Amino acid sequence: MSGETMTVRPRERAVPEGRTGFRQALAAEWIKFRSLRSTLWVAAVATLLPAPGAAFVAATESLQPDDTVLGGSLTLAVPALMLAAVLGALVVCGEYGSGTMRATVAATPRRGTVLAAKATLLAGFLYAVALPSCAAAYLVGDALLDDGYAQGDPFPALLGVAATFPVAGLFGLALGTAIRHGAGAITSVLAVLLLPEMLGPLFGPGERWVAGVSPTAALQKLTQSSDAAPEALGSLGGWPSLSLVAGYTGLALLGAAALFQRRDV
Amino acid sequence: MAGPRRRPSVGGVIEVHALTKRYGDRTAVDALSFAVRPGRVTGFLGPNGAGKSTTMRLILGLDAPTAGTAWIGGRLYGDLRAPLCAVGSLLDAKGVHGGRSARAHLAALAAANGLPRRRVDEVLELVGLDPATAAKRTRGFSLGMGQRLGIASALLGDPEVLMLDEPVNGLDTEGIRWIRDLMRGLAAEGRTVFLSSHLMSELELTAEHLVIIGRGRLLADTPMRAFLERHSRSGTLVRSPEAERLRAVLEGAGARVSADARGGWLADGPSAEAIGVLARDHDLALSELTPLRSSLEEVYTEMVASATEFRGVGEERREREAPR
Repeated sequence: MSGETMTVRPRERAVPEGRTGFRQALAAEWIKFRSLRSTLWVAAVATLLPAPGAAFVAATESLQPDDTVLGGSLTLAVPALMLAAVLGALVVCGEYGSGTMRATVAATPRRGTVLAAKATLLAGFLYAVALPSCAAAYLVGDALLDDGYAQGDPFPALLGVAATFPVAGLFGLALGTAIRHGAGAITSVLAVLLLPEMLGPLFGPGERWVAGVSPTAALQKLTQSSDAAPEALGSLGGWPSLSLVAGYTGLALLGAAALFQRRDV
Repeated sequence: MAGPRRRPSVGGVIEVHALTKRYGDRTAVDALSFAVRPGRVTGFLGPNGAGKSTTMRLILGLDAPTAGTAWIGGRLYGDLRAPLCAVGSLLDAKGVHGGRSARAHLAALAAANGLPRRRVDEVLELVGLDPATAAKRTRGFSLGMGQRLGIASALLGDPEVLMLDEPVNGLDTEGIRWIRDLMRGLAAEGRTVFLSSHLMSELELTAEHLVIIGRGRLLADTPMRAFLERHSRSGTLVRSPEAERLRAVLEGAGARVSADARGGWLADGPSAEAIGVLARDHDLALSELTPLRSSLEEVYTEMVASATEFRGVGEERREREAPR
C-alpha cells in the first residue's frame, strides 16, 4: 500500500518504548497493594493476630485438657485465616468498585497475566507473613503454657499452617474475581470458611465430611488442636486436607480466570 | 465477521471496521466503520447513549465486540507490545481508587508497562498537579483535578494516539481552555487525538474533523470546515406590513425568498445591509430585519433527530414485512 503514504513527522519519544509482561504486571500489583490503607490494615491485623492470641490463651488457660501447645497457640489463626480470605477478595473487588480494573486491563490487556500477577503477589505475601506470624504464636504459647499439655509436632506442621493462608487468600481472590462486588465476595468467602463447621453437626454422622472441606479444617488438622478430632472433621490427615483445599482453590481460580477473560470490564 | 489481527496501516491511525456491540436485544454500536487520522483533533459527536463510550471501550479491548474489529496502527489493542506507549485513554468513569494517591495510581500504571518512574513526575508536572496534591488520596479531588489526573495517565507512555471520553464534561471555562490547547498542541505534534462529546459547542473550536454517530450508527464522517460550509446557511429574516410588495422587491433584487415559520420572509442572497437600503429606496417600512445563521448545534440536533426518525420508519417497515 505504497499509495497511502502520509507524512508523519518522526517524533522524539519522551520515554523509551516499554513492554508488558508478567514481571511488569507483578510490579504494578505490588504498588497498588501497598498504596491502599484498607488492604494494608487487613494484612496487618491478620499478621499480628495469632501471637497475642497465644498469650491470651496461655493466660486464661483456655485449652481443652487434651489439646496441644501448638493447637492452643494457634487458636486465633482461624480468624486470621478469614482475614487472609477477605484480603484476597479486596484485592480484586476494590478495582472493580472504583473502576481501576479498566485502567489495569488497558495497561495489561492480557487478563491472564493480570490475574496471575495478583495471585502470585497475594500468595507470596501471605506465606511470607503467615510463617513468622504463626511461628511467633507457637513460641509465645510454648513459653507461657504449663508443661501439662502435649507439645504437638510443630515441624513441619507450621509450614503447612502458613500455607493455609495463601490458599484462603487465593480462594478469596477467585470468588472476588467471579462476583466482582466486595460485599458479596466477602460474604461468600466467609461462608465457605465458616459454614461447613457451623452446619456440620446438622448432618449427623455426615458431619465430618461436611466440616472437613473448609480451609479452616485443614488449619485445625495441621495445628493438631483437639477440635480436629476425626469424628468432627473427618479422618483426612493434615496434609491431605491441605491438598484437598488447595486443589479446589486452584479449580476456583481457573474458573475465575475463564470468567475474567470472557467478561467486559 | 472479524477482520485480520494485523493489517498494513499508517502508525497512529485508529480504524474501526463494521464494529457492532449488542447487549441482549439492544444494539449499542451498529456496524460502525470509520478511521481517525494523525495530526489533527477528531471530534466524536453524538447524543448521550449514542454509543460513543462503548465504541471507545471496544477499541481498547475492554469490551468484546459482537462483530467487527478495531485496529490501532494496524494492530488489535490486545496485541500491542506496550499499550500505554501506543494509546493513552481517558474513559468517562475515571477509574481511580479513592483511597490511593494520584502518584501511586500513576506509578502502578507506569510499572505495568515498564516505564521509568521519572515519567510519573513528568506527567504530573505536565498537567499541573503539584507534588503535595499528587501525594494525597484522590477521594478529595475536585472534578478538575480528577480530570487532570486522568489526562496525566493518558500521557504516561507518550502515546501516538489519545482517546478521551468527554474530557471537558463538568469543567470550568479555564479547564476547558486548558484541555483544548493541550489537545491541539498534541495533534500539532503529529499525534492522533480522538475526543468524544455530546455537545457540538465543545468541539466546534477544537476539532478539525468530525465523526458523528446516533443510535450506534455513523451519521457523518467529515472535515469540520466542510461541515460548516455545507450546513451553516445564512439568511435574513425580514418583515414588513406590506408583505407581498416586500417579496416582489426582494426577488427583484435576486434574493431567494421563502416564508418563515415565525412570520415574515426568509431572504437568502443579499445581506441585511443591502436589504435595508433596498427597502428605503422602495419606500417600504420594515418591522424586522434580522440576520440569521443556523448554529452548528441546531444542525447537529436536526441531523440526529432526522436520523432517529428515519430509523423509526425503517423499523416499522421491517415489522410490516416480517410476518409471512
